[in-house]
Amino acid sequence: MDVEAAKLIGAGLAMIGTIGAGLGIGVLVNGAVQGIARNPDASGAVQTNMILGIAFAEAVAIYCLVVALLILFVG
Amino acid sequence: MDDMRKWRPLGIKNRYWVLLFIILGFIGARLYWPVLPHIQLPAERYSNTPLFTLPIIGPFYWTNTLTAVVIADIILLLIALAVRRAISSGKLVPSGIVGALEAILEGIFNLTETTAGRWTKAIFPFFATITLLVLVVNWMELIPGVDSIGFLEHSEHGYPREQLLPNVFTIVNEEVEHGAEEGQSGELFMVIPFVRVASTDLNFTVALALISVFMVQVIGYRALGGNYFTKFINVKGLFSRPIFGVIDFGVGFLELISEISKILSFSFRLFGNIFAGTVLLFVIGSLVPVFFQSMFLMLEFFVGIIQALVFGMLTMVFMAQATAGHGDHDEGHAH
Repeated sequence: MDVEAAKLIGAGLAMIGTIGAGLGIGVLVNGAVQGIARNPDASGAVQTNMILGIAFAEAVAIYCLVVALLILFVG
Repeated sequence: MDDMRKWRPLGIKNRYWVLLFIILGFIGARLYWPVLPHIQLPAERYSNTPLFTLPIIGPFYWTNTLTAVVIADIILLLIALAVRRAISSGKLVPSGIVGALEAILEGIFNLTETTAGRWTKAIFPFFATITLLVLVVNWMELIPGVDSIGFLEHSEHGYPREQLLPNVFTIVNEEVEHGAEEGQSGELFMVIPFVRVASTDLNFTVALALISVFMVQVIGYRALGGNYFTKFINVKGLFSRPIFGVIDFGVGFLELISEISKILSFSFRLFGNIFAGTVLLFVIGSLVPVFFQSMFLMLEFFVGIIQALVFGMLTMVFMAQATAGHGDHDEGHAH
């Protein structure tokens, strides 16, 4: 197996980590929507915190993406 | 809103403009099939001779992402001048871009007020500045010509070029080019864009993250004084309560690590989102150049807003957390 092929496979494997972030964002939005449905008055605060939480969960996926991009385009 | 509905350039309805541009897109894609650009992580330099060299830091090059930041700064300055003129004109109800800016800033201010309480006036400028700068910088990737107009440079895995006007060339896709012509031209080129989206350069995002995290410490010190730093080096209970004191000390160490990881996550979040966005636009543009690109431009529009808001909002929340006391302090409930 040459280095190019190994790089492509490695980049693909690096993106497996995004499964966790996807699940996390799903759980997060589930909770937020249920909260808003029960108490629509609190939707502003819930939304702010939801976006913050999504940003944290998404950061993990972004690390995977950065690793994949580094594998693909650097060196 | 009524003005918008009547807006009909050259007397042609908007839907026919859209149709016209789609047809133009088809013709353009037939003439010059889009090329997947060379994707490169570090920002491209205009020239390989450094502008100046600093003693410890090293040589300083003018890169195309630096141009993007300068352009974004100029745009923000022009907006600021427009706001100034609108305020001094004495009209109570602002219109146009000033009205939009007022709505954005009011939203940001209210959000800060609900989170930061009495420290709103100290924290709001950072939130607003970071959000506006990142927003303008992110949206530059939607402008045609950014990332696609630039110098031609010899490259091994480039594309052949074709002359359009004197001194104006375009690179053409190899598959369209016939073998005989390729043999004649021989040389391969790639585009070094004049302007590249600044968030795709790690230098920009790391600089913003460093500023943000540093100012979090400054605001924490302003709010709590020297007590702020006991959050990190907590020796208070080390001798009076042996077991919990040691745990507190360890937690302080973890706080120190989390501050450092904030810099990492700030910079990589913005960089990763926007760099992935530009790569997505490149790939989609070279695969399906006509219609699909517009949808992904819409997606990138929202990603630009959300990332700008998230960067600003996280800065604001960290600052608000730093002003509120921690653990067993009595200022724990600031608001």
